[in-house]
Amino acid sequence: MFNKIILITSALIVMSTSLFAQGTLTGEQIIRKVYERETPEDQSGELIMTLENSRGDTRVREIKQYVKDFGENEKKIMFFTAPADVRDTSFMSWTYDEDGKGDDQWIYLPALKRVKRISSSGSSDYFMGSDFTYDDLGGRSPSEDKHTLLREETLNGELCYVVESIPKDEDYIYSKTVTWVIKDKLIGLKKEFYDEDEDFLKTLTVNEYENIDGYWMILESEMFNDQKNHKTIMEMKNLKLDSGLKDRIFTERIMTRGL
Amino acid sequence: MEKILKKLLNYHWVIHIFIIVISVMFFISMRSNSTMETDLDKYMPQSHPDFIYSNQAEEWFHIQDGIIIAIENENGIYNSETLQKVKDLTKSLQKMDEIEKADVTSLYTADNIVGTEMGLEVNPFFKRVPTTESSLQKLQKEVRGNDMIYKRIVSEDEQVTLIIAEIGDDSFSQEFYQKIVDLADKYEGPEKLYVAGRPIVEGSLAALAPADMIKMVPIVILVIVLVLFIIMRSFKATILTLSVVIFSVLWAFGLMSVLGVPIYAVSTMLPVMLIAIGVADGIHLFNHLKIYLNKHPNSSKKDALADMIQGMWKPVVMTSITTAVGFISLLTSQVYPIKYFGMFTAFGVMMAMVFSLVMVPAGIMTFGLPRWKTKKHIKDQKKLSISDLKLSTKLLKFKKLSIIGTFVIVAVSLWGMTQVWVDSSFLSMFDKSSSIVVTDTFINENFGGTSTLNVIFDSEENGAFKNPEVLKALEDLQSDVDGSLEVVGNSFALTDYIKRMNMVMNADDPEFNTIPDSREMIAQYLLLYEMSGDPENLLKVVDYNYQKANMTFQLRSDTSLALNTTISKIEEHIPELNKLGVSVNYAGSGYKALVFSDLILSGQITSIILSLLIIIILLSIMFKNIKIGLIGAVPIIITAFISFGIMGILKIPLSTTTALLSSIAIGIGIDYAIHFIEQYKNYATETNNKMETLELTLNHSGRAILYNAIVVISGFLVLLFSLFPGNRSLGALVSLNMFTSFVGTITIMAILLDQSNIFFKKQHKESINV
Repeated sequence: MFNKIILITSALIVMSTSLFAQGTLTGEQIIRKVYERETPEDQSGELIMTLENSRGDTRVREIKQYVKDFGENEKKIMFFTAPADVRDTSFMSWTYDEDGKGDDQWIYLPALKRVKRISSSGSSDYFMGSDFTYDDLGGRSPSEDKHTLLREETLNGELCYVVESIPKDEDYIYSKTVTWVIKDKLIGLKKEFYDEDEDFLKTLTVNEYENIDGYWMILESEMFNDQKNHKTIMEMKNLKLDSGLKDRIFTERIMTRGL
Repeated sequence: MEKILKKLLNYHWVIHIFIIVISVMFFISMRSNSTMETDLDKYMPQSHPDFIYSNQAEEWFHIQDGIIIAIENENGIYNSETLQKVKDLTKSLQKMDEIEKADVTSLYTADNIVGTEMGLEVNPFFKRVPTTESSLQKLQKEVRGNDMIYKRIVSEDEQVTLIIAEIGDDSFSQEFYQKIVDLADKYEGPEKLYVAGRPIVEGSLAALAPADMIKMVPIVILVIVLVLFIIMRSFKATILTLSVVIFSVLWAFGLMSVLGVPIYAVSTMLPVMLIAIGVADGIHLFNHLKIYLNKHPNSSKKDALADMIQGMWKPVVMTSITTAVGFISLLTSQVYPIKYFGMFTAFGVMMAMVFSLVMVPAGIMTFGLPRWKTKKHIKDQKKLSISDLKLSTKLLKFKKLSIIGTFVIVAVSLWGMTQVWVDSSFLSMFDKSSSIVVTDTFINENFGGTSTLNVIFDSEENGAFKNPEVLKALEDLQSDVDGSLEVVGNSFALTDYIKRMNMVMNADDPEFNTIPDSREMIAQYLLLYEMSGDPENLLKVVDYNYQKANMTFQLRSDTSLALNTTISKIEEHIPELNKLGVSVNYAGSGYKALVFSDLILSGQITSIILSLLIIIILLSIMFKNIKIGLIGAVPIIITAFISFGIMGILKIPLSTTTALLSSIAIGIGIDYAIHFIEQYKNYATETNNKMETLELTLNHSGRAILYNAIVVISGFLVLLFSLFPGNRSLGALVSLNMFTSFVGTITIMAILLDQSNIFFKKQHKESINV
């Protein structure tokens, strides 16, 4: 799941040039292309997640993470390296492509010396106390929303499509999102979220992206929740793609033992 | 002074026009500028360290007072209709502009931390309202199994559930309250809905008590007019006396609006004070005039007025200055509304003086002398003199008894004063049968309590509240206070989260409902909670850096006694916490109200002592004798003693309203004394005979004082019909103060005056003593 997170919302590959030849794309097509762009088989790196509240207090978490795409599912394992009192706490999730099948999640607390299953909390829950929901991190299928291309405009020097997405499920936590997709890279550059009462909720901004081994990867993004005045910054360091991660590392045993 | 006043008699029309023009200007300013201040935070001195700390802590932990809506279904709440109402009401409240979405707590929004065989879950209790019997039963079971919800959001008998909407200090208004009540009414039946909570109590009090006072004042005035008329037997005298009061009130409020000072709740006592004090001047003036006219039935109005001014300007000025001093001493208070109250009442008193000396004579110049049947009164006068002679002889005969009686009364009052208790409770200011009190009682019976005390723990060390030692000390304090005090219904802190997670992670084994021993374990639980739950909830009990923690105690009463008992229990644990580097402070509106009322009361005591001293000095200067200063202060001191003594004996709590009464006791008591002493001095020089002087003074001044007391007492007894116990006590205590001041002046003070021989020449004094 987490490679979708990092890769999908964030990293998008430049799609075939035929895309441009087709003329104007519909909103639906644009979002689908973003969702379905090619991603690396596996990736590993250090994630630094910084939470910042309205007074400027911060909580910094450093995590080593490994993600691998298995076709019908995607497996991810994370080890906390900081702060010290949670070091070696690990987290594993298996995300299934199949619609309606929830994630399997495990947590290992070294103080408790036990691996625990956590029930999957659903795609609209917040990821690790951050301002990102699992959906925001890239898990949301394009078929769940109705997409409309609003306009094209330049943002931070990049020519973007501006697409509005309205969920088909009226009870969803957002009533509307607006995404700025970089035209020639097909990665999201910015996204605005409106809550269920149609009030402006938060903004996702991509601060840093880079083409690594032919994949457009997002290295730093920031979610600012305007209602709570709370911010999450996610940074990826030492990103390694397609390094041939072994299947057997995504197990409870590795969670307790570490890599 | 006298000359100026006499000259002014020729310009009576100018005076009328001048007063009316200024009054109209003030009136226009009041109509456009006057605002009523109902935000109680505005009443508190924001620079006081306790307030600064509390306000900070409120921001750190998002501490706010909650409006509580209770939904009662006698057949139990676990049916889809009632739960639908919970959901709909929660959503309606969340949509209100005054309420932040995240600040509404109900069964619909609450987090359910549960342990399953799989591990840990933090989920809402329901999203869609459960409809099937089995899903309803599942919900019921889940609530019962969750200490953080059961008996907090859902009552033990499962017939009542709460929706709590926290709001900011400044967002409460009467309109908003009405909106909530209307909303609750929509969901009524078969469920019963109740609306309570501190914002409602505070907001209603701030708006309704002064409104009630404003409603009562015209009735008070009406009664005073009637009694004044009966006593003065002159329409003109009544109207002129009343005008003095009304214009002085108008000018005081007018000046307030011109200076942009809002009307605070205490300011609504200003008319009451000015009525009680202002009529005195008029009564004494007309009493003097009447006596003069009795002696000189054919005198011209100018001569009569000249005599009135000559005889009365001094006591009127003296009484006004001393009364104003009593109020000006309130400037020492740290509380701004009380400072303003003192300042503007003092201004009103001085204006009443000016009007009495300028407008009353001008009015008589314009409209003519009051027509009294002079002949009949001469007879009355003689008859009265005879009976008064008896009274004054009797008075002297019983002087020992009077003195002993005074001592006894003072002693009893002193004992009563030891029983005086201070109360900062807002709830006790409402009638016991009012819907606010009834609702509050209902919720207090079914839940932990409607009042809260926040205890804020502070450490220098980052991450201190992940330390098991610190958390265990917190838990000790929590369970001690929660367990040993009847008034504490509930408590809530970081410890509750940790204990629950420890238990849940250990297969729901109650043995693990404890704080774990390792710091790592605690940190990892917290991480787990942050990862799976709504981390926002945690921020209400601990700050971002785990350096500050907030423990909330729910109390079943908002009285000072309840708060103080809880605080002293908490204080027992402070040495232990200090050893761990943790300091303890308090926050929240209940605590602020407690500090606030202490400030008012300590300020009152300082200002009473200060004004007594100043008044004794002023009297000594006015009569050029320090003994007179002391004798004149006797009725006030007795009045103050009795006033506080009675409050203690009758268990009337000392609140902000009743504390201010001491000012009126001093203000009025001293007037009586001054009028009496001044007349006594005049008659002493006139007759040089002690017995005659006493008789004449009792007859002349004593009667005016009696009239004054009767008028004000009858007016203030009207307040006994007020809806607010505070205003009722005010009426009763003002009446009592008037009565004791009156009795004190004509008995013990008269006797002391008589014994002091101050105004008699030395040889005469000797001749009497010999």
